[in-house]
Amino acid sequence: MSHEFELVVNGVTYPVDVDPSRSLLNVIREEVGLTGTKEGCDDCECGACMVLLDGQPVNSCSYLAAQTEGRSVTTIEGIMNGDELAEIQKDMLDEGGVQCGFCTPGMIISATALFARNPDPTKDEIQIGLSGNLCRCTGYGRILEAMKHTAADRG
Amino acid sequence: MKELRIATSLDEALALVADGYQPVAGGTDLVVAARGGKSELPDHVVAIDRLTELSEIDSSDGGLQIGATVSHARLMRDESVIDGFTALADAAALVGSPATRNVGTIGGNVMNASPAMDTGSPLMVLDSEIVLRSVGGERRVPVSDFWTGPGQTVSQPDELCIAVAMPDLPSESGSAYVRLEYRRAMEIAVVGAGAVVSLNPEGDGRVVGVSLALTAVAPTIIAVGGIADALIGRAIDESALADVAALAGDQASPISDLRASDDYRRHTVGVMARRAVEAASRRAAGASIPVPVNRSVGIGAVT
Amino acid sequence: MTIAETPRFVRADGPDKVTGSGRYTADMQLAGMLAAKFKFAEIAHARIVRLDLSAARQIPGVLAVLTDDDVPDVRYGAGLADRTLFARDVVRYEGEVIAAVAATTKEAAQAAVDAIVVEYEPLPIVDDLEMATADGAVLVHPEWESYRASPGVPRDGNVASHSSVVRGDVDQGLREADIVVTSRYIADGSHAAPIEPRAVVAQWEGDKVTIWTSTQVPFTARDGVCQTLGLPTNRVRVIVPHMGGGFGGKCGFHYEAHIAALARTARRPVKLVFTRREEFIAPDRRRESMIVDLTTGVKSDGTIVARRGQALLDNGAYTADSSFFTQLAVMHLAGPYVIPNVDIGAELIYTNHQPSGSVRAPTAPQATWARESHTDEVAAALGMDPVEFRLLNAVETGKVGPSGQTYDEIGLTECIRKAVAASETAGPLADNEAVGVAIGWWPSIPSPSGAYVKLDGDGAGQIITGAQECGTGSVMTLRQLAADELGMDPEDFQIVHQDTAVAPYDTGATGSQTLFNNGRAVIAAAGQIAEQLRELAADRLEASMADIVLSEGAAHVAGSPDRNVPIAKLARIASYGELLIGHGSGTPPSAPEISGATCAGDAGMAAWVAPQFSCHAARIRIDRDTGVVRVVRVDAVHDSGTIINPIGALGQVEGGVVMGIGQAISEGTVYGADGRQRNPALLEYKLQTAADVPEIHTQFVEIFTPDAGPRGAKGIAEAPNVPTAAAIANAVTKLIGRPVTHLPMTPERVWEAMR
Repeated sequence: MSHEFELVVNGVTYPVDVDPSRSLLNVIREEVGLTGTKEGCDDCECGACMVLLDGQPVNSCSYLAAQTEGRSVTTIEGIMNGDELAEIQKDMLDEGGVQCGFCTPGMIISATALFARNPDPTKDEIQIGLSGNLCRCTGYGRILEAMKHTAADRG
Repeated sequence: MKELRIATSLDEALALVADGYQPVAGGTDLVVAARGGKSELPDHVVAIDRLTELSEIDSSDGGLQIGATVSHARLMRDESVIDGFTALADAAALVGSPATRNVGTIGGNVMNASPAMDTGSPLMVLDSEIVLRSVGGERRVPVSDFWTGPGQTVSQPDELCIAVAMPDLPSESGSAYVRLEYRRAMEIAVVGAGAVVSLNPEGDGRVVGVSLALTAVAPTIIAVGGIADALIGRAIDESALADVAALAGDQASPISDLRASDDYRRHTVGVMARRAVEAASRRAAGASIPVPVNRSVGIGAVT
Repeated sequence: MTIAETPRFVRADGPDKVTGSGRYTADMQLAGMLAAKFKFAEIAHARIVRLDLSAARQIPGVLAVLTDDDVPDVRYGAGLADRTLFARDVVRYEGEVIAAVAATTKEAAQAAVDAIVVEYEPLPIVDDLEMATADGAVLVHPEWESYRASPGVPRDGNVASHSSVVRGDVDQGLREADIVVTSRYIADGSHAAPIEPRAVVAQWEGDKVTIWTSTQVPFTARDGVCQTLGLPTNRVRVIVPHMGGGFGGKCGFHYEAHIAALARTARRPVKLVFTRREEFIAPDRRRESMIVDLTTGVKSDGTIVARRGQALLDNGAYTADSSFFTQLAVMHLAGPYVIPNVDIGAELIYTNHQPSGSVRAPTAPQATWARESHTDEVAAALGMDPVEFRLLNAVETGKVGPSGQTYDEIGLTECIRKAVAASETAGPLADNEAVGVAIGWWPSIPSPSGAYVKLDGDGAGQIITGAQECGTGSVMTLRQLAADELGMDPEDFQIVHQDTAVAPYDTGATGSQTLFNNGRAVIAAAGQIAEQLRELAADRLEASMADIVLSEGAAHVAGSPDRNVPIAKLARIASYGELLIGHGSGTPPSAPEISGATCAGDAGMAAWVAPQFSCHAARIRIDRDTGVVRVVRVDAVHDSGTIINPIGALGQVEGGVVMGIGQAISEGTVYGADGRQRNPALLEYKLQTAADVPEIHTQFVEIFTPDAGPRGAKGIAEAPNVPTAAAIANAVTKLIGRPVTHLPMTPERVWEAMR
């Protein structure tokens, strides 16, 4: 049996009709067609698949797509302010926070949620805030530096 | 899975559960287990995460009643939990990552019945009751009777966990939960311990009430027997804490697995027990130790 | 100028990566594309007695099921051809591919895999490195002698490769020593663990196949397909979309041929995407476990006189690219020390574990951890400060190293002094804190490499390079080199890369070699255009070509900046005549000489071109009750020659250090008695999180290195991964009074050592 509902991603409503066991990640990538959200483990352990659900971070790999009916999903593709990069995106580029880029979407999603809750986080709050997003390239140093800049600009 | 229903009222959810639907809230146990290939998703699932009846934290009648779908993120930030039931906030703040804390729920923890669940020892020492409801009515089961083995509880298939409830602690009480972790995030307790300590209101520092529970050293969360006999009337000093560690180590029956050997678990659960009792007693004496204890003292502390 | 003040380098691929528009292999969708799944052995050692595919073929939606019967009879392997695409009669590790399925959906493919019936006759598990070389040991490859191998690599039964460096007279040296210290260290295997699990897409058009794959080495992947499927190189095009990290784990040729074969049989494009578990168990790129024995003799004044050493390396079931690891391990057991008498050997031993292969600085973190722990033991036996001991014995400019190489100007002792001085600025140590110091070295790898550069009619530049970007930014840095050569802005260039049909050869993102070699190629290619531009400008400005200077987007006459013409204008002129196209390769630097040493199993790794040096000082805190160690600060100082892209180099050091912390305390593969991995998941194989990482302070000792990479640069990507675990180990030893001799130094192992 399939589950028919309207999935709202980045403000756009997509009618979908999917097997109810499919994950939000799977539906975003394969039905909606937005591939910025990545699959790194399919097990809630790496954070590459993170999206915002009503503004809160969720590992989309382990969240049933059908459960988002009537809610609002934001993916990395919805983070820009119109045609402008968001501050976090700019800071990630300027401070060298991007290497292979595979963790980057999830990292930016986590940071967006963190700054929404806490505009001026301490270093430790940033570290805990990003602790669900594994990065193998950077050792987190340049990413934390980028977040510090974003925090300084906001705080 | 064949069907997912999104319940819009508790009655609807209970009716579906009575029909064999499995409840899901954040999916951090049910869906993760399915994705990891451990167990298939059930055929019929009812989402209960939108039921406002299950998402309240209520302290109006004395004590605290926490709705089953209250998330770890809310527990760790809720003033009434932090003030009166601190161990539970300590535990909630350690679960997974911000994203898992955001969708993971207390009811999900309780029903998943993992012996390594961080919120388990706090619920035990806080003398909680699990509130179960079915179409036929409601019953409350003391948490000490609730878990019967890994993944096993006394709940019936038609029952839904709707809340956990716990009485207020006496004055001059404090609670704490401490776990052994190999990373500061994205962890499951290697071992853990929750404690409640009540001190003599006359201020002589003597213990008038104490309870201690242990995480990940037995098939379920276990309460440490004899802890009251061992500590009541004593001050929490080095010798008392040594007795706490010894009692905890004695009563633990850990397994060896990937995360640790039984020997190491038996030793470290004693360390966690004494730290939990010490932190709880300091909180009882009015000290402010921020939540979670793991990131306030010891190796996980902020530098 | 501190690194924080250096000009920011914005990557050409950066905007793509922060907005989610960047396409990785798993993101690709082609019309009619099928999903692939593999049937893995799921048993470490067994003979296949029955393989029944009939039920699998009948699953609706299944278009291809392939096994060894369906591909050419080819054994392949980089230095030792011991591998086939599909298991043949015997499976030798749990992740060996028995069959591949392509179906209309992932679910159908998985159902078909589940319907494949395999019956096994179990064979004894070979998993003990010492027992594997004993008389009468079960052989992982009974037919090992028949395999084609690189000449000069000694092999014998379960020993897939042996190397040694012998210099002077070790017995005599040890007799003359005042103190002799002997140690044994054991390191568990570990994983590259890139966050992107690998993916491959293949599509045939006529007799040509295009393969999109997340490989670090597109040309090697192409050559593997050509070899195993019997195709010329011009009918196989390998393209790498953005790649989500490699760390060596995606070096080599892996599953491109399986997917190409499936696509050919199914007559449809096919996509494979690995699960995280598959990424852990299957690819032949695990960091090898190792047993190290070291004996060092010193004079009472602290001078090292002799070292004997042996390393046993777990090769796993197949040799991948690891034949040369034995010589690398030997070099790391010797270390960057002046030792007149050495006799050090290493053996690469077949087991029924996942095959080992290049993971970031192969052999170095484990061997360095063992050697540097041993070094602190020797210093302690002497009653000497371990830093003083290192300064006394370290190789330096003009000195002769343990393999007989004489070093040109190098900065190792400066690295040591700077790291120690920086760590001392962090304030007094609490009683549960200590600082450990370790040094490391790593070669730069010269290799042929090519690139084209062109300027089109509007003056916009394009670099077309065979080099592969695995995330480090090394390919992205190429536009800085081209721009400097042409007096243009880096942003004037775009890069076309990682496409084997379009660009000339490059070794790939391996051996920290990209900028080192492809930089030379890009400079040469841009240099040809610079010549063309000078000629055009000389004509237009009525000056001598030799007087034309290219800078700030214009050509001007030396000494007369006003006599100028914009490069864009010259490009437009050229677009009507001789086009602005440059090609470059250049000659790789040649290997230095060694004297006085005898090397068995020489893989050209006993003398290093442009060797890199490093010193890390790690400040740690210990929980004495539990053995939990937390790293609170690392001071990392590196001699990697000239630093071309400071922010990129910083990212390499920080990433390498944190990977090193993981290897030190939390990352290790646990094997069961059945030869299978027990922790192939990110919860139980623990990478460090953002919450765990310490402050990292990086400095570069920049020494212009002649006969090296562009502008005197050496490599950088692997070196930072070399000494971190060792530095942490030495701090732990200071706190608990004895070394933890098993890597990773998990809390439980630290606790055991304390008891």
